[in-house]
Amino acid sequence: MKMEDVGALKQHKEGEIWEDKWIPSACTICYGGCSILVHKVNGTVVKIEGNPKSPVGSGRLCAKGISGIMFLYDPHRVNTPLRRTNPVKGIGVDPGWKPISWDEAMDEIVTRLEKVRAEDPRQLVLQVTTTLAPSSLVFFPFGWAFGTPNMWVAGGGVHCGNGAHASSGVTHASWSIVPDFKHCNYAIYFGASKGHGAGHAATPNISLAADARERGMRMVVVDPMCNFAAAKANEWVPIRVGTDAALALAMANCLVNDLKIYDAEYLRDRTNAIYLTRPNGKYARDPASGKPLIWDTQSASVKPHDDPAARNAALEGEYLVDGELCQPGFARMKAQLRKYTPAHAEKITGIAAATIERLAREFGEAARIGSTIVIDGVTLPYRPVSAIFFRGAQGHKNSMYNCFAIDLLNHIVGAADVVGGTLGFNPVCHGHPDTGKPYYTPKVDRDGLMATGAWMLPHVPYPPADPRKPDSIGLIEVFPLSHVSPLMASSDQEHWWKQFKLPYRPKFMLNYGANSVMSVGNKEAVVESLKSYDFIASFDLFLNEFSDFADIILPDASYLEVVDPRPNFPFIFNHPAGQGEWGWPIRQPVVEPTHERRSARDVMLQIAYRLGLGPEINMGVNAYYGLDGEQMLDPDKTYTIEDISDHELKHKFGPERGLEWFKEHGVITWPKRVEEVYWRTFLDVRIPIYHEYLIELGEQTGKICQEADMSYDPAYYGPLPEWLPCHAHEEQDGSFDLFAFYYRDAIQANGFTMENPWIDEMARIDPFSYRIAVNADTGRRKGLKDNDVIYVETATGRRVTGRVKLTEGIHPEGVGIAACAGHWSKHQPIAQGKGVFFNDLLEIDFAHTSPVNLNLDLCAKVKVGRHEAAAT
Amino acid sequence: MRLGMVIDLKRCMGCYGCQMSCKAEHGTPPGVFFSRLLKREEGRYPTVRQILLPVLCNHCSDAPCVEVCPTGASHYAEHGVVDIDPELCVGCRSCMMACPYSNRYFNVDQRNYFGDAGPTPYEEMRSARHTESTVMKCNFCKDRRAEGKDPACVANCAAKARFFGDLEDPTSIVSQLIKDRSGFVLHPESGANPNVYYLAP
Amino acid sequence: MNRYDQLITDLGSDYRPQREWGEGRGLLLVIGHFLVGVAGGTWLLSSIYGITAGLVVAYLLGGLGGITHLMFLGHPEVAFKMMRNVRTSWVSRGFVGLSLFLLGGGVYLALMLASLGGPWRAIELLAQIVAMLGALTVIGYMGFCYTASKAIPYWHSPLHPALYIAYAVRGGVAALLVISAATGTTANASLLQLWIAMSVLITLFFVFETQGAWTSGNIAARWSVRDVLSGRLAISFYGGTLAMGLIVPVLLLVSSAEHPPVIMALIGIASAAGDFFMKLTTVKAGVYLPLVLPSRR
Ligand SMILES: Nc1nc2c(c(=O)[nH]1)N[C@H]1C(S)=C(S)[C@@H](COP(=O)(O)OP(=O)(O)OC[C@H]3O[C@@H](n4cnc5c(=O)[nH]c(N)nc54)[C@H](O)[C@@H]3O)O[C@H]1N2
Ligand SMILES: Nc1nc2c(c(=O)[nH]1)N[C@H]1C(S)=C(S)[C@@H](COP(=O)(O)OP(=O)(O)OC[C@H]3O[C@@H](n4cnc5c(=O)[nH]c(N)nc54)[C@H](O)[C@@H]3O)O[C@H]1N2
Ligand code: SF4
Ligand code: SF4
Ligand code: SF4
Ligand code: SF4
Ligand code: SF4
Ligand SMILES: [Mo]
Repeated sequence: MKMEDVGALKQHKEGEIWEDKWIPSACTICYGGCSILVHKVNGTVVKIEGNPKSPVGSGRLCAKGISGIMFLYDPHRVNTPLRRTNPVKGIGVDPGWKPISWDEAMDEIVTRLEKVRAEDPRQLVLQVTTTLAPSSLVFFPFGWAFGTPNMWVAGGGVHCGNGAHASSGVTHASWSIVPDFKHCNYAIYFGASKGHGAGHAATPNISLAADARERGMRMVVVDPMCNFAAAKANEWVPIRVGTDAALALAMANCLVNDLKIYDAEYLRDRTNAIYLTRPNGKYARDPASGKPLIWDTQSASVKPHDDPAARNAALEGEYLVDGELCQPGFARMKAQLRKYTPAHAEKITGIAAATIERLAREFGEAARIGSTIVIDGVTLPYRPVSAIFFRGAQGHKNSMYNCFAIDLLNHIVGAADVVGGTLGFNPVCHGHPDTGKPYYTPKVDRDGLMATGAWMLPHVPYPPADPRKPDSIGLIEVFPLSHVSPLMASSDQEHWWKQFKLPYRPKFMLNYGANSVMSVGNKEAVVESLKSYDFIASFDLFLNEFSDFADIILPDASYLEVVDPRPNFPFIFNHPAGQGEWGWPIRQPVVEPTHERRSARDVMLQIAYRLGLGPEINMGVNAYYGLDGEQMLDPDKTYTIEDISDHELKHKFGPERGLEWFKEHGVITWPKRVEEVYWRTFLDVRIPIYHEYLIELGEQTGKICQEADMSYDPAYYGPLPEWLPCHAHEEQDGSFDLFAFYYRDAIQANGFTMENPWIDEMARIDPFSYRIAVNADTGRRKGLKDNDVIYVETATGRRVTGRVKLTEGIHPEGVGIAACAGHWSKHQPIAQGKGVFFNDLLEIDFAHTSPVNLNLDLCAKVKVGRHEAAAT
Repeated sequence: MRLGMVIDLKRCMGCYGCQMSCKAEHGTPPGVFFSRLLKREEGRYPTVRQILLPVLCNHCSDAPCVEVCPTGASHYAEHGVVDIDPELCVGCRSCMMACPYSNRYFNVDQRNYFGDAGPTPYEEMRSARHTESTVMKCNFCKDRRAEGKDPACVANCAAKARFFGDLEDPTSIVSQLIKDRSGFVLHPESGANPNVYYLAP
Repeated sequence: MNRYDQLITDLGSDYRPQREWGEGRGLLLVIGHFLVGVAGGTWLLSSIYGITAGLVVAYLLGGLGGITHLMFLGHPEVAFKMMRNVRTSWVSRGFVGLSLFLLGGGVYLALMLASLGGPWRAIELLAQIVAMLGALTVIGYMGFCYTASKAIPYWHSPLHPALYIAYAVRGGVAALLVISAATGTTANASLLQLWIAMSVLITLFFVFETQGAWTSGNIAARWSVRDVLSGRLAISFYGGTLAMGLIVPVLLLVSSAEHPPVIMALIGIASAAGDFFMKLTTVKAGVYLPLVLPSRR
């Protein structure tokens, strides 16, 4: 409370209502950033509702969003900076926190950072939580200003995005994909929760998906568990964990080879299916320009891909080019797919061959290839089918191929970013009518293929950067299709740093919220890596399992106490896709931070200024926010987050719409145009269905790996997706007979919502939230009774325990665990001991990592049984 | 006018938003849920179905809770809404044994969610106003209706699965939905004549 | 488990037991029902057999039962409001009945013991009628309260009132047996016959009710039966109701042809305890009707 409020309080009589306001802002309990209206009476928040004026949620919130009051007022929050008094760090070892002043904390951090920077700035590691992804922007400019490449989002990315974002970036210019709910008639979900309480734009998608169901969209959910998406599906297809590529490739095979259903026009005009490929897999190129060639059927000759003759290009056949027999990418794909027969897929996925054939046929027929529809007076291709995936399908060692294989189904039938098909999340924006900002659109890049118009990170997925010797501790320079790396906290990191001759070691970590001890993998590995730091400073709302390894804790202000000019930008991240409105909301403090809490981003700016990095960070912010002209930050001035927000908003929406305007209005909206939504038809860009660039990329990556004695398997770098098994599929010991996996609980957001007593109460009543789901028959065969305490154990001896929920709604070989629970920190007494810590089953090392995009393998072969210790 | 609700189980995805928005709206004490979501399973693997069933007081036309209440605390308020007058309630809990839909809760004492840490400022403002040792339940958001708003659980439902209106008006959205999609009630055999209808999943 | 944790666990279970009546302070209600049942029965039988000590004991038990009833309430201080809905509420009727019993019984006993005679006789008679009406209401109301509990299919049986009336009578017999032992008078031999008759009736009613619950097709009622016969209430049922309430008294009965007052009293005490456990068991066995989609919809 501000001083004047306290004064005001004194003057008010008992029972008098002296304040009654609804303040527009944005939720951040998950990264969805739904627009909210906060009801404040006499200084107290009494209700959080959705903001009906904003398309981000349209006035409706999920249960977590409503529960924000209980985060705000949680008496267990950190309220002052804390310093450890016990130098020993370990799980369960009390750091002996002692309150200190902000001055003391800042002095120590700045002094240490100066030293680190003087030695080698790369020793600084910035770790942020995905939960705050849209708000973590100051952290990245800070990293650039400081000169470190070491930034990551803890479990984020390596669990959820390295495959999906890279793949969707390459083919949909977007962070993620979703069915065009308004027009789609047939959607297949491969381990994704779009419209069922998780994923991007989690809550806005709920009503879009409900509309689609009501309209009659058929939804087929391929998932080991009949949880949220499958509960609402027309058909649940239980799949063996991690085998999605085998299914998708078999469906693709049925479509192109058996049923001969494919959109030749789309493939010819919008993809590289026509690019001629040589026997070595690479493009046949024009010797003069280096451009990939196509075969012009009219002139029976090769032409560069961008020649108008591409309209007559061959999709099939073999052509002699420079003495080599070359084939269009499509022909190669067709041939390669032949080995993925439904019978082959049945063995791998456990799904009957006949079912696979039927799904392929239904998908192909529902695509209505060749049909068009008129939208807003424009005739557009109409392909009302969609195949989507997210965390479930991509969280495996063969992450990249899983994603490409599933997305291929969309491209085969031409259902990509057209009416009714699979949409990226808003890859095109022409800006507000008054200012034309923000403006971005995909463009033609290397070899005529598409590069994204907007991206969350500086390095885009296509064209991938050239692999080079690593600069960062995560080795992401070697694997340019990754954006974060589990090697930031792996058990074998030191080994690889030595092998790659990394000239420095991480020493100082600044953490913004992430609870990496729990969110990455087994705790031992993460803890070992954390222990090697000289110093860790962490901004958080609570003390958690990670805090036990920090040296200084900084009490952050929560999302209801801070300002953020862009909780939903870039729109490719979590703004609802499809037709409708654009909405740019802001986040603003609904109450002033109490105690010693301070906005982490302001603190970061102050640290930067004290380090003398003012010009660098201001320019970094300019680059990140795209600020130019009058709204560009002056390198020589100092700013607060409020100032920067004002610049950013004026830059996008004109000088009259600065922070003050937005604080009053909360959100600005304007209609989406058909060229923005169904942009594919309007833009002359191609996307790869034949990922030729992977060959070259793999060769380069392989060379660097070999120098460091890192195993390199070219099988992962083929231009066409393949089915490759995870470690779990290769487990030899037959007593480990089940596959453990986790899934998002609609009522939890990653790892910290269990501390919210309203959510915890809900989760305790829910049959699944805190329990281990095991197939009822499987459980009975193993002598388990519902609610028994069971163990789940891997071949490497990793083990978790929890209560079992015997259910009919899970694959007989599956062990499903919700969320990221099982907290042990005593500082979160409500969360403590609730639910199951799935990640303790996961290995974190290069062997369990996708060698293309560094996604961690998130499935584990396990056995389960009654936990005898608990039986008494 | 007879107020009623329609819940479209085809649209509902089981997000618990109704349960939570109701809790936040009314500041109900721990363990008290005017609105709840139930999850059940139907069938055997692999032809199994998750049934997501949001429930609340049905504001029955022949409410057993009103019938058994000795004090008249449970009563029919205007527009067929069944409400409890905390001034009259003696806490005998017969109504809890009578409601065929188990949608009544006894507010034992003034508990709060953070236990020993004491009530939050929110709880001081919202939860403290409830009468202890009486029975509580949904009142179709009386205060919101007075402000011309829909009930909290309806206004918030992210799936737009809940509808509220006058069942006696054949042109109302609720009457239309019940007619067009053969709305049904839970436990019709109870004879309570509920005014909360469901549409098939 | 504390009340809150228990509730949360219950809410997550398919068959949620009711715990408001019969657990914690809710135990007072069962005790109250037990006491006023015995009181009613004792008053009735004492009137018939003309046992003054029985009337006094019945009155005291009724008063005690009233107090336990009140102590169970959330707001005993406004208990008088329970008079407002005799039109439809059995609780209300019970409250009025008990009030009449205590009022009428009090006046009657006072006048009778003072034996004032003359015009007082009329008032005495009136008070006696009021007390008897009250006693009969009290005997009858409890079973109907349970039957009116539509949430709990197990109780929702037309046999429940009959069962409770039989309990009351058997309770009355038990009380008189104890009283006669205490006062050194020989109990009326027909009391034992009445006891046997009531025990047979109760057993029959219970068997019918259980069988009805099991076969009614209602899963919640079946669940309750399972809880009683082989679940969480089996101990209270077999130990309390069956062993204590039936087997022990029957053994005592058949152990000899002569029944000295001590044995009679023991039979009374055991049978009363059995009745209490029977009530406790059936009250606690109540599980709420689960909310499921109608099968034909
Ligand atoms: N078992 C399991 N593991 C998972 C996942 C899972 O679902 N299950 N999900 C994976 C994925 S996809 C991701 S993205 C990661 C996420 O992993 P993390 O990024 O580590 O996310 P959380 O575990 O939710 O932790 C969020 C942290 O942010 C803090 N926080 C919340 N709001 C604020 C704030 O305003 N300021 C500050 N400073 N801190 C705040 C919370 O206190 C909490 O400590 O986890 C991955 N790991
Ligand atoms: N409510 C809620 N919303 C969230 C979050 C949250 O924690 N809670 N977290 C946010 C974040 S950080 C992310 S990354 C997104 C993630 O959003 P989602 O993509 O929804 O992530 P999950 O639920 O982990 O995985 C989706 C489905 O994959 C299934 N699955 C697991 N393994 C496999 C497999 O091998 N194959 C297939 N086909 N399916 C599999 C799971 O059962 C689950 O149903 O959600 C975001 N939104
Ligand atoms: S989806 Fe995420 S951002 Fe939206 S209300 Fe729920 S928790 Fe908040
Ligand atoms: S808020 Fe709506 S969608 Fe969510 S559980 Fe309730 S009724 Fe279903
Ligand atoms: S649902 Fe229950 S509480 Fe509501 S009116 Fe009907 S009987 Fe009464
Ligand atoms: S608890 Fe209150 S509302 Fe319920 S029956 Fe008793 S007096 Fe009526
Ligand atoms: S109508 Fe209001 S009180 Fe009733 S369940 Fe919905 S939100 Fe709760
Ligand atoms: Mo994530």
